[in-house]
Amino acid sequence: MEFRFTKKEEQFRQQIREFVKENIPQGFIGHRFWDEQHPPSWDFGMAIAKKLAENNWLTINWPKEFGGMGASNWEKAIMTEEVGYWGIPGTSMGISGTRWVGPSLMAYGTEEQKKKYVPLIAAADPDGVWCTGYSEPDSGTDLASLQTFAEQVGDEYIINGQKVWTSCAHYARWLWMICRTERDVAKKHQGLSLFIVDMKSEGLKVSPLKNIVGGHVFNELFFNDVKVPAKNLVGIKNKGWSHLMQSLSYERSGAVGIVGTLQRVFDELVQYTMESGQIEQSDIQQQLADLAIDIESARVLGYQAVWKMDRGEKLTYEPSRDKAFTDVLHEKLSRLGMDIIGAYSQIDVMDKDSRWTQLGGAIEHMYYTSMGIALAAGTTDTQRNLVGQFGLGLPRSY
Amino acid sequence: MDFAFAKEHEMIRNSVREFFSKSCPVDLVRELKDDDKGYDPRMWKKMVQLGYQGLVIPEEYGGLEGDFLELMIFMEEAGKKIVPSPFFSTVVQCGLPLLDFGSKSQKEAFLPGIAEKGDIWSLAHTEATNSEMVAGIKLVAKEEGADYILNGTKLFVSYANSARYFLVSALTRPETGTEDIITLFVVDANSDGVTMAQMPTTAHDKRFEVTFTDVRVPAERILGGLSKGWTVLQKTMQSAAVLKAAEMSGGAAAALQLTVNYTKERKQFDKPIGSFQAIQHRLADLLTQTEALKYLVYKAAWMISEGSPSDFYISAAKAKANTVYHNVCHQGIVMHGAIGWTEEMDIGLYHIRTRAHTFDGGSLKQHRQKIVTVLQNHRPDFMTLYDS
Repeated sequence: MEFRFTKKEEQFRQQIREFVKENIPQGFIGHRFWDEQHPPSWDFGMAIAKKLAENNWLTINWPKEFGGMGASNWEKAIMTEEVGYWGIPGTSMGISGTRWVGPSLMAYGTEEQKKKYVPLIAAADPDGVWCTGYSEPDSGTDLASLQTFAEQVGDEYIINGQKVWTSCAHYARWLWMICRTERDVAKKHQGLSLFIVDMKSEGLKVSPLKNIVGGHVFNELFFNDVKVPAKNLVGIKNKGWSHLMQSLSYERSGAVGIVGTLQRVFDELVQYTMESGQIEQSDIQQQLADLAIDIESARVLGYQAVWKMDRGEKLTYEPSRDKAFTDVLHEKLSRLGMDIIGAYSQIDVMDKDSRWTQLGGAIEHMYYTSMGIALAAGTTDTQRNLVGQFGLGLPRSY
Repeated sequence: MDFAFAKEHEMIRNSVREFFSKSCPVDLVRELKDDDKGYDPRMWKKMVQLGYQGLVIPEEYGGLEGDFLELMIFMEEAGKKIVPSPFFSTVVQCGLPLLDFGSKSQKEAFLPGIAEKGDIWSLAHTEATNSEMVAGIKLVAKEEGADYILNGTKLFVSYANSARYFLVSALTRPETGTEDIITLFVVDANSDGVTMAQMPTTAHDKRFEVTFTDVRVPAERILGGLSKGWTVLQKTMQSAAVLKAAEMSGGAAAALQLTVNYTKERKQFDKPIGSFQAIQHRLADLLTQTEALKYLVYKAAWMISEGSPSDFYISAAKAKANTVYHNVCHQGIVMHGAIGWTEEMDIGLYHIRTRAHTFDGGSLKQHRQKIVTVLQNHRPDFMTLYDS
């Protein structure tokens, strides 16, 4: 048993902090899903991503040949946690590329695909920006029921259908998507395939979907006879579902990064209550302490998952456990924060520079994104289904 | 970072688990509820033979000289089987302060009795003031020659009817208002002037009101120095909080497993009730909370074992235990349905211990306040990074 990081790991954490000190202005608090709805932040994020890439830090755990530094699971976890705490922007270049497209391509892409796409991601090139097309209007949690069809005609596929909730499509150069390639199947999970689609393709229309506070994160994608070369199919045709499960596991891991974000906002909030004197109120004390315990709980759980992975064991329910738990924590922390900033919690969350905005808008931002976070990569309740099924051995409930 | 226990720790866990699964079946737990002693002397004796009471006592005093993690593992396993025994009061609440603050002659006089003979000890601290603060102590010790004369009443004293010694907190300098007004005394349970009455507790866990009327205690029975009692109690409280949390963590995991097993077997609408999402989502959340508790306890215990106890982790572990233990028991009973609310099922045996567990080692409110104190004295990273 050992709950300390090694000296080398601690030194690495310090190196990241030196980078932060040099490149991120003091007082900067990152906001999740903000860069894609705020052009100056997008540019800043891409500039930071470029600097990280120069250190081989953007895709730190990727092999050297693909622009990483072959970092250990723990180094990767430390990086993720620091990214969360300091709000280092640009690290997922929108959302998909560094987190699951790159790792998926390295796992089951062709040599040509790996060579063409992976280095662009690792180099923080604008052509390395991706978005992901999974959900459809009638296929959300029951994703395998999706209907968008890719029909093979010679050495091309012709795609018709619709995708929705596509984050970052308005910045992406490439789309990572799943389509039906076979209609006549015994089970809906069969007959699906993954594709790389050029966002500049003819017949592909991107249409913005504003969220409840007017932010532009999501898009709808309409496919009207979109032609994709056959070599852009990823993995094995009609076996896309099992590839997708692997990609989703990359997406759902990384709870330690979320812990970093929660910790930062919590630290800011504690200082705020000390300055305002609210910390003397016993109800505030009890709620802050409770949150401190919950954030620490999320951290030990996140570390436990990293440890298990690092031992070479396959994670089963742990990412779902950690996502469901941190989903709830976002709401709990931001709701207390909103009560603490009081009347100012009404200031427009989209105007982070107003002179009435408290703590750079971090609390309000978390408050209004907490539901989005609870939906991304599978809803909180879907995660609970998976914990029940794989963590407790209960019968499948859906 | 490594969440795995060392081999020798796994061995201790296996032997403790094996011992309790043989010697403490749930039927015995039920029987002991109505037993006057409330523990099984034969089991207690076997525990002495196996060295459990002396796990962390040095070899020179008859113990095994193990580390804090071994004690934590013992408590976690005991918690799983809800073992009724005076172990916590004897070893944790009295043995550890003797070990940390006892003079050489006190250690020689008392520790072998615990490790080798199975002497039972009990902490006599809580009073009718129902307060965890210094101001809650009203029992007075008045100096008279080389002795002190104790007068006052203590409540919720565990296994007082079987105890050989009490560790009693008393006011020695009532005129000053600071923390340095409490002294701890080792008092023979059969001293003249000690009377006791059993308190009716829901758990039937043998708690007593112990009254001290002109009880004479020699000055050499002071533990940790005159008016240093609060310091000793605070230090003891750290270990006690983590060890009680370990016991509760084991108990919560066991109560959750009972519930999961039941929801797999029990059928309604032709399906196991565990296949319904209303049940599954609650169980999933309880699993998450139970695992969080487990790792918080491990981390807090590991830090104590490494000689760098953390107020934050200690309080986080105990506060979490107080919340999670209740939640698992309460929701577990509800998920069992009506039968869960009967004596027939085991889960109720876990729940009736919730309240005692909650106060031993510190309440939720108390630990949350300690955490706030830590927060107030901490300069977070975002404030320090740009300092230099």
